[in-house]
Amino acid sequence: MSESAVQTGAEKSYKRIRSSIHSKKRSQQIADTVSFLVIIILAALVMLPIWWMIRSSLMKSLEIFKWPPQFFPKEWLFSNYNIKPTTFDFWRYLGNTLTIVVPSVVFGTATATLCGYAFARLRFRGKALLFSLCVGSMLLPTMVTLIPLYIAWSSLGLTDTYWPLILPYLCGGGAFNIFLIRQFIKTLPRELDESASIDGASYFRTLVSIILPSIKPAIIVVALLIFITTWNDLLQQTIYISSREKYTIAVGLTTFMGSFKNDYAGMFAATCLSFLPGVVVYLLGQRHFVEGIVMTGMKN
Amino acid sequence: MNQRGACIADCLCGRLAVLLSRKCVIDMTNKKKRAKIAVKEQRAAYLFLIPALLGLTFITYVPLLAVFGISLTDLNVGHFIKGGTMPPVKYVGFENFKEIFRNPSIDFLNSIKVTVVFALVAVVLSIIYSMLIAMLLNRKMPGRGFFRAIFYIPYILPATAVMISWWFLLKYDGGLINYILVSLGLGKSYFLSAAKSAIPSLAMIAVWTSGNLIVIFLAGLQNVPRVYHEAAEIDGANAWQRFWNITIPSMTPIIFYNLLMSLVVNLQVVVPALAVTKGGPGKSTMFMTYLMYQTGFRGRELGQAGAIAFVFFIVAAILAFILFATSKSWIYDEGGEDKK
Repeated sequence: MSESAVQTGAEKSYKRIRSSIHSKKRSQQIADTVSFLVIIILAALVMLPIWWMIRSSLMKSLEIFKWPPQFFPKEWLFSNYNIKPTTFDFWRYLGNTLTIVVPSVVFGTATATLCGYAFARLRFRGKALLFSLCVGSMLLPTMVTLIPLYIAWSSLGLTDTYWPLILPYLCGGGAFNIFLIRQFIKTLPRELDESASIDGASYFRTLVSIILPSIKPAIIVVALLIFITTWNDLLQQTIYISSREKYTIAVGLTTFMGSFKNDYAGMFAATCLSFLPGVVVYLLGQRHFVEGIVMTGMKN
Repeated sequence: MNQRGACIADCLCGRLAVLLSRKCVIDMTNKKKRAKIAVKEQRAAYLFLIPALLGLTFITYVPLLAVFGISLTDLNVGHFIKGGTMPPVKYVGFENFKEIFRNPSIDFLNSIKVTVVFALVAVVLSIIYSMLIAMLLNRKMPGRGFFRAIFYIPYILPATAVMISWWFLLKYDGGLINYILVSLGLGKSYFLSAAKSAIPSLAMIAVWTSGNLIVIFLAGLQNVPRVYHEAAEIDGANAWQRFWNITIPSMTPIIFYNLLMSLVVNLQVVVPALAVTKGGPGKSTMFMTYLMYQTGFRGRELGQAGAIAFVFFIVAAILAFILFATSKSWIYDEGGEDKK
């Protein structure tokens, strides 16, 4: 075999490898483009219902169900959002809802952090048992305990107050949140807080000044999750709240839905208004949110 | 606190507690040198755990035991009205259980069927949908964070508002979805206003709101080691083979977690019935939780509602048990051997 033949052979195989890498890259690119297009279409489909609600809230009641439907209102009737307080008292309901949500989120997150820290870092008797009870309660449907809790709260005379809706969140904010914080703290290097405790800092101070700043994403996730749960808890709000001036947004909306008389525009406006607080809160914490869940390493 | 905590735990878990505390004692003796720190540490731990202990005791486990007790009485909402004229609470044995299964106006078996069918359909479809979206979002693309937010938003909207929105979107006349169906040359559907299509429609809405599963799947996908994919690629595995033999096996723990969590959530479905369908049309959306609400708070029969809750607990436990029991055969355990 001559030298040139060897060279062309090597060149050929080199070319083949190169072209295969090239085509792999290209097929990768095609796959990326296709999935990007699919995502755009799916995202549009997911958003369509929300857009539909918004456009309906800005139309005349008669136009909303016109056939064929219009995708944009002819004139933007922001006046629909002036809903009579007697039908849907948004600001009052919002205030009431926040009276439940804010303490639940604040104290729920705080106690979840304390408990999560204890489970992640401190050694104590009965830890394994307590932790399995905690994880076990994640699986327990809250619906099962509803009747006993109702009986307990009403024997304490606390029905038609917000206490039955707030107090459960002061107890660690739910097992899942404790679990989440624990997982997150476990991913931090132990040296971080050990050096602090050797320096003589108390456990509480270690938690506040060393751990807390590093688990910010997890805290935000937990706060958001508690926010969503309390915001969505229509069943308990319906059971415990009976007087109209104490209605939450969810209860008020359901009542409006049950009694509106062709005031479609008002109905849609009320629904869109109640979308708002959640979206605002989510957008504020969005950046930390996925990071928080990713870093907890859901694998364990 | 320690003593009492141990006592409650003992009652609940009996032997398990004894076993575990024995193990702890051994641990403690091994660390005698650190005994002084341990006391301080232990005190801090119990102090931090007071909220969780209170919650687990009074919000979770005591009510769980109490619900069975309540289901054996004729407790009524009337017993809690001041100055009411209700006769004192009586022990009625298993009468409530007999009643809920026998009374045709309660129609409990239908309720169980409806709830379980809804939960299974919703769980399976949500898992497939969110896995698909997560896989797509895991690729390189511009504006990933933006799209992630888009798919997550339905989950953070208040469930009540979501249900009301979909009620209008799915209207027979003038609803957006029926307009789309007609434009595509398909027939109109009654969706939520017909008994046959109500459950599939609600399952579809549940899929739409399953953005939380997407985030958890995404987190999992980012933990799949890239080396596996690269190695398989060099060995000539195509995309489908890689998906089926690498992505899915390494995701099984997360799939299991998502299955379990969304099962627990979907079995408790109640907002659709409470906000719009009111259990109808017919009894096609008379979910167990809604039936419990109806019986306990509309019908005022807390005893019967307790019986419903207890049966619900059994049903949920059976489903969760099936999931756990089968999980060993399909969850790929990284530490162990490959599944055979």
